[in-house]
Amino acid sequence: MKIKKKTSYQYIKKIADFYHKYQRLPSYREILTITGLRSTNTAHYLVNKLIQRNYLKRDALGKLTPAKKILGNIKLLGTIEAGFPSPAEEELIDTMTLDEYLINNREATFMLKVSGDSMIEAGIMPGDMVLVERGLTPKNGDIVIAEVDGAWTIKFFKKYPNGKVELIPGNKKYKPISPREELKIAAVATAVIRKYI
Amino acid sequence: MAIKNFPLLSIDTFPRAILHIDGDAFFASCEQSRNPALKGRPVVTGKERGIAASMSYEAKASGAERGMRIFEIKRVCPEAVILPSDYETYSLLSKRFYSIVRRFTPEVEEYGIDECFADITGLQRPLKMNYQRIAQKIKEELDRELGFTFSVGLGPNKTIAKIASKWKKPSGLTVISARQIHLFIADLPVGKVWGIGKQSEAYLNKLGIHTAIELARKSEWWVKKNFTKPTVEIWSELNGKFEKPLNIEEGPNKTSVQKFRTFTPPSRNREFIFSQLSKNIENACIKLRRHKLAAKKVIFFLKTQDFYYYGTKFELSRATNIPSDLICLAEKSFNEFFNPKFLYRAAGTSLFDIEIENSRQLDIFGKVLRAEKLTSFFKAVDVAQKKHGKHTLYLATSFWANKFAQHLGKRGDIPKRKGFLVKGETARRRIGIPMLIGEEI
Repeated sequence: MKIKKKTSYQYIKKIADFYHKYQRLPSYREILTITGLRSTNTAHYLVNKLIQRNYLKRDALGKLTPAKKILGNIKLLGTIEAGFPSPAEEELIDTMTLDEYLINNREATFMLKVSGDSMIEAGIMPGDMVLVERGLTPKNGDIVIAEVDGAWTIKFFKKYPNGKVELIPGNKKYKPISPREELKIAAVATAVIRKYI
Repeated sequence: MAIKNFPLLSIDTFPRAILHIDGDAFFASCEQSRNPALKGRPVVTGKERGIAASMSYEAKASGAERGMRIFEIKRVCPEAVILPSDYETYSLLSKRFYSIVRRFTPEVEEYGIDECFADITGLQRPLKMNYQRIAQKIKEELDRELGFTFSVGLGPNKTIAKIASKWKKPSGLTVISARQIHLFIADLPVGKVWGIGKQSEAYLNKLGIHTAIELARKSEWWVKKNFTKPTVEIWSELNGKFEKPLNIEEGPNKTSVQKFRTFTPPSRNREFIFSQLSKNIENACIKLRRHKLAAKKVIFFLKTQDFYYYGTKFELSRATNIPSDLICLAEKSFNEFFNPKFLYRAAGTSLFDIEIENSRQLDIFGKVLRAEKLTSFFKAVDVAQKKHGKHTLYLATSFWANKFAQHLGKRGDIPKRKGFLVKGETARRRIGIPMLIGEEI
């Protein structure tokens, strides 16, 4: 038994359409109806193929659930109708949203609107939005958000071999801050956002 | 002493392992963690209502209490920083709180904006940690990632977990196994047990029971004879059994919908107060419609300046989520609970007996047909509101409530985050990430 690749794309599209319309996957019987296949055995074969190819997967109870290629925001095989499978299909890769790209740990991420000019040499301008993550241990050279005298400050983190820690501004106008007492690092900057329009 | 310590109430340790996690001074901590200028200072939220909603431990130390009027707070704690509540930020952080706990177990009950229960039974092996270590790990991640502390209680059921989380606050981690329960409830007043209200407490006291352990030591026969199911369950949980399952549905618990808003200054103007009630009814119905639900029972109530409640209750012949149905009822009965001699400070409504919107039955008088028309009408209202903002379209009965800000005068302060928009944001759509605020140097 073999299902041709081109034909199987049509089946996948039908299953995906069904999923997007009803928010669930079709049963074997329904797969027969929507694909026009005649035997559940073939449907089973098709399903196994699709599992192998990451369109479907089975959950812990063995029920079918959609996998990445159906769930994701990939435009699913939109070119099929034109008749020729596009070479791009073979290159289908997973995509991520800008949210996912900018944010590592969603629960620990906060925003800070920059007002000062102490980091302009690092490309952080007044008015920029900085995404910061709490609870990370800062490494040398990281941009950190620290608490200094009841205010936030955003600076480079510098740790010397002797254990001394300094906050280095990204602007020659300002001097490094070396805290007298314990330095309270609240978060580490993970991205800067500047929106123009 | 002997009777207190012996015999054990249970010989088990953790037949089930339930956590209760409680944010320490949640709202005030949200404020302190995002603005370093507030750290270590007494912070009180609730300025917009004139009543303290939450206070930092520094404020508690100087005698501020929940529910106090703001002017009283200023008297007992003159240096307190009093802030308007920023529910947008609190609920963002609350959602994060739940999702951090869900990293460890899917069985999480969102019990309140600042507390939750979690079932970690059987997770030692998959997580390669014992129960105490799991509790510790959850606490560490919460404290570190959200920037303020949580108190965690581990027990064999919800009642004991709740006692445990209160045992040491703030930032406590208390573990009570079933066989240690008697040590923790020996001196606990029975009214402090979760689920025992003022009435039950008074009745228990009459029967000679003052501490939780005295209740726990009673025989099942005696408890069943004197009390109804809820108290029997509490008795059983005090004995280390697991009786109250977790309600692990995500999102707000939809067994009832309540909308209750305070307004300032207080008023005795009939039209104005009715319109406040009407606005709350509209809001409650919007919420029902959003979740495709409808309610069969409704309560309308008003709160006077002296904190007395007056209200009335209706059972409807069919479930509804159409505000005009309810407002008609409220209008007809308004005189039953409104008295022009009193000053009122709040109006509200509670809808319960909630069912799925489409399970409505046909009636023989054709009212359903009219309801179908109204349903499609309010669907259109919902679409319009979604596009143009809440309360761009409202019923005429809510006019006075929509004409003025909820709180006039000084209390009309808006939270800082509401006051400024990041480029690309609109007043109604903001980025779902909490902001660090305060001065930046």
